Amino acid sequence: MEERERRLVSGKGFYVDDIELPNMAHCIFVGSPYAHARIKSVDVSRALRLNGVLAIITGKEVAKLMDPLPATSNYEAIGWHWRTPKVYPLAVDKVRFQGEPVAAIIAEHPYIALDAADLIDIEYELLPPVSDVNEAMQPGSPLVYEEWEDNMQVHLEFNFGDIDAAFKEADRILRVSWHEGRVSGFPIEARGCVASYDRITGMLNMWSSTQAPFLGRQYISSALRLPTNKVRIVVADVGGAFGNKLNWWKDTVVGLGSIVTGRPVKWVESKRELFLTGSHNRDVTWEGEVAVKNDGSILGVKAKFVKDLGVEGTNRGSAAMGIIPACCSVPNAYRLFKGLKIEACGVVTNKSPYCAYRGYGKDKGIKFMERIMQIVSRELNIEPEQIRLGNFIQPHQFPYKQISGYVYDSGDYPAVLKKALKLGKVDLWREKQRQARKQGKYIGVGVAFMVEPAGVAAPHCIYGGLTQARVRITSDGLVEVENDQTEIGQGSTITRTKVVANILGAKIDDIEVKRDSSDMPGSGVYSSRGAVYPTGALIRAARELRVRMIKFAGHFLNEEPAHIDITDGVFHSTKDPTKRMSLKELADCAYFRPGPRGLPHDMQVKHEILLDVSASWFSPNTAQNPTSTYATYCSGADIAVVEVDVETGAVSILKYAHVHDAGTLLDKDVVEGQIFGGIVQGIGEALSEELVYTRSGELLNNSYTDYVMPTAQDSPDIVMGHIETPSPFTELGQKGIGEAPVITSKAAIINAIEDALSPFNIRVPESPATRERIRRWILESQEG
Amino acid sequence: MKVPIKTKVNGKLYEQEVEARSTLLDILRDELKIKSVHRGCEDGECGACTVLLNGKPVCSCLVLAAQVDGAEITTVEGLLKGDELHPLMLAFIENHAVQCGYCTPGVIMTAYYLLNNLADFTDEDLRRGIEGNLCRCTGYIHIIKAIKAAKKCKDSGNWW
Repeated sequence: MEERERRLVSGKGFYVDDIELPNMAHCIFVGSPYAHARIKSVDVSRALRLNGVLAIITGKEVAKLMDPLPATSNYEAIGWHWRTPKVYPLAVDKVRFQGEPVAAIIAEHPYIALDAADLIDIEYELLPPVSDVNEAMQPGSPLVYEEWEDNMQVHLEFNFGDIDAAFKEADRILRVSWHEGRVSGFPIEARGCVASYDRITGMLNMWSSTQAPFLGRQYISSALRLPTNKVRIVVADVGGAFGNKLNWWKDTVVGLGSIVTGRPVKWVESKRELFLTGSHNRDVTWEGEVAVKNDGSILGVKAKFVKDLGVEGTNRGSAAMGIIPACCSVPNAYRLFKGLKIEACGVVTNKSPYCAYRGYGKDKGIKFMERIMQIVSRELNIEPEQIRLGNFIQPHQFPYKQISGYVYDSGDYPAVLKKALKLGKVDLWREKQRQARKQGKYIGVGVAFMVEPAGVAAPHCIYGGLTQARVRITSDGLVEVENDQTEIGQGSTITRTKVVANILGAKIDDIEVKRDSSDMPGSGVYSSRGAVYPTGALIRAARELRVRMIKFAGHFLNEEPAHIDITDGVFHSTKDPTKRMSLKELADCAYFRPGPRGLPHDMQVKHEILLDVSASWFSPNTAQNPTSTYATYCSGADIAVVEVDVETGAVSILKYAHVHDAGTLLDKDVVEGQIFGGIVQGIGEALSEELVYTRSGELLNNSYTDYVMPTAQDSPDIVMGHIETPSPFTELGQKGIGEAPVITSKAAIINAIEDALSPFNIRVPESPATRERIRRWILESQEG
Repeated sequence: MKVPIKTKVNGKLYEQEVEARSTLLDILRDELKIKSVHRGCEDGECGACTVLLNGKPVCSCLVLAAQVDGAEITTVEGLLKGDELHPLMLAFIENHAVQCGYCTPGVIMTAYYLLNNLADFTDEDLRRGIEGNLCRCTGYIHIIKAIKAAKKCKDSGNWW
């Protein structure tokens, strides 16, 4: 147990940058300084003459040697307005965002490659850039893709229930608008891979920092025109991912570099490159109206939703389709919705591509709804928790089909919120708030609630719900485990070990989780699916293996299987305690002494594999309810108490409480680790994190120096509570929760700031609520 | 241009000729093969490459190799007693303070320095003390808990 952690604390990690192969060369990318420009010429002759430079690949070459990057989702075939661009990993004719790779240099040493980068002569013809999403939607705007008539990549309408009836029944119609700044996960380890192509066998072996090796193999082999069985990806230790490592467009060039040079090639991305070319997320704007009754009942929402995708979110990344859960998640935990109508626009601009970041899309709808709740609470002068309690889906209503088509599995939302109110000592803080106001201090109490859809299976994309697990007993009675629950630092190794040990009755130290690789079919970890899909497959495989083990043990012990149990790796008869054998003895019997010929006749004639079981899992929820693209729906409530210094705009967090219901907890430490991390990421988004582009498409903050992520000093003490309402749709009642905390923490902090500033009658219009912005909102409120 | 340097890394003496532009991070990782020292931001912002230089934590990406002639350097490998993990490392494991592990060796070196140099500390001191080490997975909560648990080990004499 904890072998991985023992390795990592003692410096025995196996991250991509730690890999050294004989004869290994190094790859760097040369990026465009401009956001939008035509490439007139690329002259690499001077750079190629530098000692130690092995090859330089440009856009012209990739267009010859590769196919365009495959689309990760495409709904054009079913009639949706959904465009996918024809793009290559290196710019061919024009660059569309600052930092877009124009060439890749393969050299003996990374420093030589960097020297060579200065010797490449590229002539650009500048084109007018469009970095503002509103300008990009105007007629006559510069076109990011000239083959399209406008910059609208995705344009959808979601219309659920009867929106007119909702608005007709309403006592009041309130306007709501909300913008989230552009952010991303930016793990401390950026992207990277090592590629090693064997020209004799045609095999491309890769080691990668990826969340999804099986999907990565499909993507890379497609772009490189290689058969999938000639590409193998082994996952190195992953230094954080958060959705940012669910894209492989640069990896294709590293693979090509190895093919071209015949050498193993390593690429480790610099942090600057990750900021400039890594996938971004959020950057959405909602404008709309909410229909409410005077008692706080929320009857309907209509809105326009605009997402700034940067160059796109389909081929270099995979988050254009995050628009769908963004819109379908809006009704959140509330039952009185009669109508929901959203016009959703995914717009391309001259910014870095859009891909997943914790929350993916669902976060956006939920945060919008929780902003609406705050606004309704203020306008109707009803406490924010009372508004929510009045609208909640009730515990007896599950499974509950939400207006947007999701079928919520289980939950007790009032209990979760009430527990959070108690842990957050909300009554006490409201009293302190009143006292503080008298002294000119501004304290605010923020409430947020969420239902997180987890474990997606969507059609027409690479995220269809693939999963597979394999559990086997080795010939000396140990257990080997693999599934597509890639370890990315979320703790899946610990979870997998415990789940399998519990089911098999094996000793925890006898379980070995195999290194993740593309050998195991399954789409990896994202969408908070680890605890849902891959764990589901793992449980099913382990249960079947247990049946087989017990049957074998019964045979060798001459006992009915019904009377055999196993604890700590030892089988015993529940009727006759003298009948015992260890897992090691069983394996020896099954494999060698007497071996398969000593097994029961019926097993022999069925040609069953001995003690090796593979299984899959698919959400019964999604299978029965095709509109419920997610399998489970965990819930959570956050209470944030903040103090805003109205002179400086500084926000300090005085109290933070969080309660969630992730169904049956597989491992409390792992769940809490995920939640703490997510909460602090959400706090960063709420207060300081934002990628700022100039109008000319230049990214102003491309390092940790000026993209301000929370440090230990910014992270508050967090009081946490659990409620467990098992999901009826999963094997152990567990629910996915990985992305949940980043959603509510941001909403709770923003709502708390708005509450603190209520004497100024300020509606927080956007995130992050930086000091400068808070000061501006206060000044504007005083002026007018 | 090559510069000759002598160093003592994790108790072992080295004599090397280093490239003038090499950083301490470069030579530790690429020449001495000490892979616990992680390349994070190379801006001195994330702390993933933190090592002790003459007993004090530094970002090894900000120190030129040529500057460390005559210096003593410690990394997490230097805290091991053979294959035995240091009590501080065990505290990180026991308190679930290791998630992706990329920041971990750097945080451990900073924490080791703090524990050896502060007789007593508040949570706030600790938070300030490890502020130079960014972690994106844990929200720092389990890290703080681990360092506090390690303090108990140290106070009870279970330390080296």
